[in-house]
Amino acid sequence: MSIELNIDKSVATMKIEGILNSENSYVLQEKLTEVLNSDATLLELDLAECRNISSTGIGKILLFFKDFIGKNGEVEVIRCSKSVYELFSMLKLNQLFTINLG
Amino acid sequence: MLVVDDSASIVSSLCKVLDLSGYHVEPACSGIDALRKLHQTHYDIVICDIEMPELTGLDFLQKISRDFQDEVSVILMTGFLDQEYFINAIRLGAADFIRKPIDTKQLLSSIEHILGKRKIKDEYHEFQQYLQSADFSFSIMPVNFSKSNLFNALSSFLRHNFKIDQQVLNELLLCMDEMVYNAYIHGTLQLDQQERRLDYATLQAVISHKLSDPVTAARRIRLRIVINRNEDCVMIEVDDDGDGFDHHAVMQKVLSEQDLSLVEHGRGITLLCHLAHKVEFENSGRRVRITKHLSNGGTSKPASI
Repeated sequence: MSIELNIDKSVATMKIEGILNSENSYVLQEKLTEVLNSDATLLELDLAECRNISSTGIGKILLFFKDFIGKNGEVEVIRCSKSVYELFSMLKLNQLFTINLG
Repeated sequence: MLVVDDSASIVSSLCKVLDLSGYHVEPACSGIDALRKLHQTHYDIVICDIEMPELTGLDFLQKISRDFQDEVSVILMTGFLDQEYFINAIRLGAADFIRKPIDTKQLLSSIEHILGKRKIKDEYHEFQQYLQSADFSFSIMPVNFSKSNLFNALSSFLRHNFKIDQQVLNELLLCMDEMVYNAYIHGTLQLDQQERRLDYATLQAVISHKLSDPVTAARRIRLRIVINRNEDCVMIEVDDDGDGFDHHAVMQKVLSEQDLSLVEHGRGITLLCHLAHKVEFENSGRRVRITKHLSNGGTSKPASI
């Protein structure tokens, strides 16, 4: 699993590749904390090459989301693999942020 | 076999040559296209150009090495051989190099050599296909849990022992990850919600402290993987020495939940129900068992309980 994070003023772009599981979800937590501590108000998640996410990984995203909207932040999944899209839809995360399948 | 090059004419002519030589071969127009195909279907050998837009041969090799370890052999095609590039490619696990323009004889000889080396592994896989069932049991000591990368180890174990569709394998690994991690965090360490939300370094310190207690350190996580060829399914069972939990209540909540819940309880079970075909609990929630069919790829139906 690898995570690429770019923060350009108010927009943070995060690209996650591979499988996000319980063993590597702390890497995601660290990257999300970086976004939270920056000036970014929009997080664009590119999950096209992310093949699946464990509940620990989803937990990290939700915890971040709660804090991020607290500072008027917004999250958008700009690209998503089919398996992650199905998982997010099943967990109703599409009620929280826009999820684009790509 | 997969041939990857951004030049359609090279891909087409190589596919023709390999097809005429009796190999089943498919084309890919880029490294990204090839990775997508590799995550859907198993290929023994990938013949790949070094210079490609978006994803170079080395980047491609790195991703193959990360996702498939040594299950896929990569032959790199190149017009030049820079020493540093060559060393990097070897380190990343390139199986062979072929000079451009392609000498067909050299390519076929390279393929035969690689296939020869894979023969023993293939015979073992063939033997596995004839087995009615296989039953593996593991006992995991919590003190060693965070020192080992269980996910990668089990991924490698399943890849080496059984030919399983890539998507099914990923889903099985995620189920296993959910089950074993829950047995560790909840059953063994009994971490509360606040502790689970700590940053990585602080959490590791809390875990070390918990494991200094001999009672906690003596607990075990037992993992059982049963592959049943007759019923074309895999059963994964995990049990721990913790206090268990009210699985009836959690299951009821998971099954009746209509709206999004940000509450942490039950998300892992929801995920298991999504990925597996059957989820069962025993022993007051200390044992969880999932069953997943092998042949129908990804899961779209909710599991039966």
